[in-house]
Amino acid sequence: MNKRQETDGLNRREFLSGAAAAGVAAAGMSSAEKAGAVAAPPSEAQLAMEYEVPEGYSAAEAREYFVGRPGSDFMLDAIKSLGFEYVTTNPGSSFRGLHESIVNYGGNSRPELLTCPHEEQAVAMGHGYAKVAGRPLAMLAHGTVGFQHAAMAVYNAWCDRAPVVILGGNHFDATERRSGVEWAHSAQDAAAVLRDFLKWDDMPQSLQHFAESLVRAYKIAMTPPMGPVAVMLDGHLQEGEAGDRIAEIPKLALPVPPIGDPAAVAEAASWLVDAEAPVIVADRMAHDQTGIDRLVRLAETLQAPVINLRGRLNFPTTHHLSQGRGEISRADVILGLELNDPWSVINSMRDRVHRSPRRTARPGARLISISVGDLFLKSNYQNFQRYFSPDLNIAGDAQATLPALIDAVEQRMSRARRRSNADRERQFRAAYAKRRESAMDAARYAWNASPVSTARLYMELWNQVRDKDWAMVSEDRQQSSWGRRLWPMEKHYQYIGGSGGVGIGYGAPAAVGAALAHRAEGRLAVNVQRDGDMMYVPGAFWTAAHHRIPLLTVTHNNRGYHQEFMHLQRMASRRRRGMDGSALVGNTLDNPAPDLAKIAAGMGCWATGPITQPEDLAPAIKRALDVVTNGEPAFIDVVCQPR
Amino acid sequence: MRVRAFLIVIAGILLLPAWVFAAEEPDGRALYLKYQCWQCHGYEGQGGAAARIASKQYSFEAFARYVRHPNVMPAYPAEILTDADLRRILEFIMTIPDPAPLKDIPLLGND
Repeated sequence: MNKRQETDGLNRREFLSGAAAAGVAAAGMSSAEKAGAVAAPPSEAQLAMEYEVPEGYSAAEAREYFVGRPGSDFMLDAIKSLGFEYVTTNPGSSFRGLHESIVNYGGNSRPELLTCPHEEQAVAMGHGYAKVAGRPLAMLAHGTVGFQHAAMAVYNAWCDRAPVVILGGNHFDATERRSGVEWAHSAQDAAAVLRDFLKWDDMPQSLQHFAESLVRAYKIAMTPPMGPVAVMLDGHLQEGEAGDRIAEIPKLALPVPPIGDPAAVAEAASWLVDAEAPVIVADRMAHDQTGIDRLVRLAETLQAPVINLRGRLNFPTTHHLSQGRGEISRADVILGLELNDPWSVINSMRDRVHRSPRRTARPGARLISISVGDLFLKSNYQNFQRYFSPDLNIAGDAQATLPALIDAVEQRMSRARRRSNADRERQFRAAYAKRRESAMDAARYAWNASPVSTARLYMELWNQVRDKDWAMVSEDRQQSSWGRRLWPMEKHYQYIGGSGGVGIGYGAPAAVGAALAHRAEGRLAVNVQRDGDMMYVPGAFWTAAHHRIPLLTVTHNNRGYHQEFMHLQRMASRRRRGMDGSALVGNTLDNPAPDLAKIAAGMGCWATGPITQPEDLAPAIKRALDVVTNGEPAFIDVVCQPR
Repeated sequence: MRVRAFLIVIAGILLLPAWVFAAEEPDGRALYLKYQCWQCHGYEGQGGAAARIASKQYSFEAFARYVRHPNVMPAYPAEILTDADLRRILEFIMTIPDPAPLKDIPLLGND
């Protein structure tokens, strides 16, 4: 019998698998090794030795029907080794092997699958989760159609420096694909659609390769500046035999975050101590509570005001040194910590026909930057903002660098300088009290209005959550920053910033993801949900209901894409036409107004609304809190003032 | 007889409620809404994306100067928003009632 005749009795899959069973595990080999291995089909006796053959089956028949140790079981071992608690996914055939392994081999525990009706939601949940938990979850998707759905959320995570580990199903070997869907769901380079906003990705060709790339991806995602990563899952690696040549799962060793150069840090300390009016501006600085504590110590040592930009909660809003952007115009030295946009700390650009930059900092003011922003950039998407050269540019993780800076500042503080702190403290306590009083005073206006004022919305909420371990899981920028103006925020987890890429559709799923992380800590997660955002991926509320993720959602429903109202009004002004209402066209979410409470109820959430009268808010919040305390999501639709 | 009928008609017109005439000429609030002032300043002038304009005193001249030649907001030229309409908008803004003092709003006053 010639070689051709020998193989005729086996189909291609059996032939390859047989070669693996003969001691050369295809799943554990490179493509080149695989190619070389297609030579000696195993005998029935060899197969019987290698595999447990169920009663009533021949060894060859068993090879056709059954897999002894699927490759995806090993993949799951690698995933488990990294401590993932959850995998968010919208199910798909290109990763059915791993899906089954998670459920049956892994017992659907650590990681547990969380069903998401949309891949954008699945990634955004990971985004919100990571900012609370301080570690990523895994997201599982088709490498083709799933990645395309996921793209917007991946971009947001990229811009916001949030780690998410994305696993994408694909079928690399064209000769092994079933007709139809498997071709439509395969790509030469599936991660290409995301690569502009991924920190790293890989397409492993063997299980050993997968294990190493997964651990590498996790490490890269968690190394500042953090960001999303993707590792592809070949369908045949998942579904085929792992064989017995799997070497090992590498150990994860996260690098110590980079700390700024000591000499540069010492110089920064000198500038700050010698400054008449040092000001600190922090954006995506604090990774956790330690970052806040360190910044408080630095600010108090200098009695320097801190301007907290929107990226994270870096500084307690209750601290007397928590001040507004007006301090920039008085500063002679500005310390920027993980600024996404240093140029705009110093300058502004007017939105006029001829765009003209204007310096907002005083002439001669110097900027010190401590940031990892320069350590990892990509070209295509321009979220890195306008080029600006700080006067002292220190590459390093700001939170990690703060202890050295604090030490250096303390060493340089003369007695006279320390004495001056009393005056500074008095000045900033007075300014803080005035700001606080001003915020409360501003909240009075439209207090009894219908639609409900956004200040009233926040204060009615605050009144009922103030005695609980609460956490805001939404951004308040589109609500006149009332959250940060009115709520005393002191803990890092109480405010997690926004989307990063300003891509709508982040809000609801990120809130659910953040609430998932808070659930483990027994905290009350509060989401002020924008109506436009909710219309993107309302399925997030189904996930919250299905997986019993407690979350109090109250809408800021202004019946439209309000930012765009204002943009269109500006355009109409420039063209001297249509200022009497054309801005409504294309921007309203009205006629019919989406019934958001019905949508949430349809997703399985307890829901009420629309509420239009402010006096109806408190009883609704009380009822909703009962639901949330019972471990379920609750939803209140409130028709609000525009901002 | 014809004179008497004429006088009756005139008297009837004079006795019509004011809203019949007002419907012909939008009041300040309607103009505030029509020209989209609410987008940035809120339905009650409380502010939001832009500054509060309620409970403030403006002369018409100063108000018009800013609306025509603003620093940040979109400019409203007179060909779009006439002085007459702008005056009615200002009249509306000036009549927005002051809110209750902080001490009378427990959620704010008891902070």
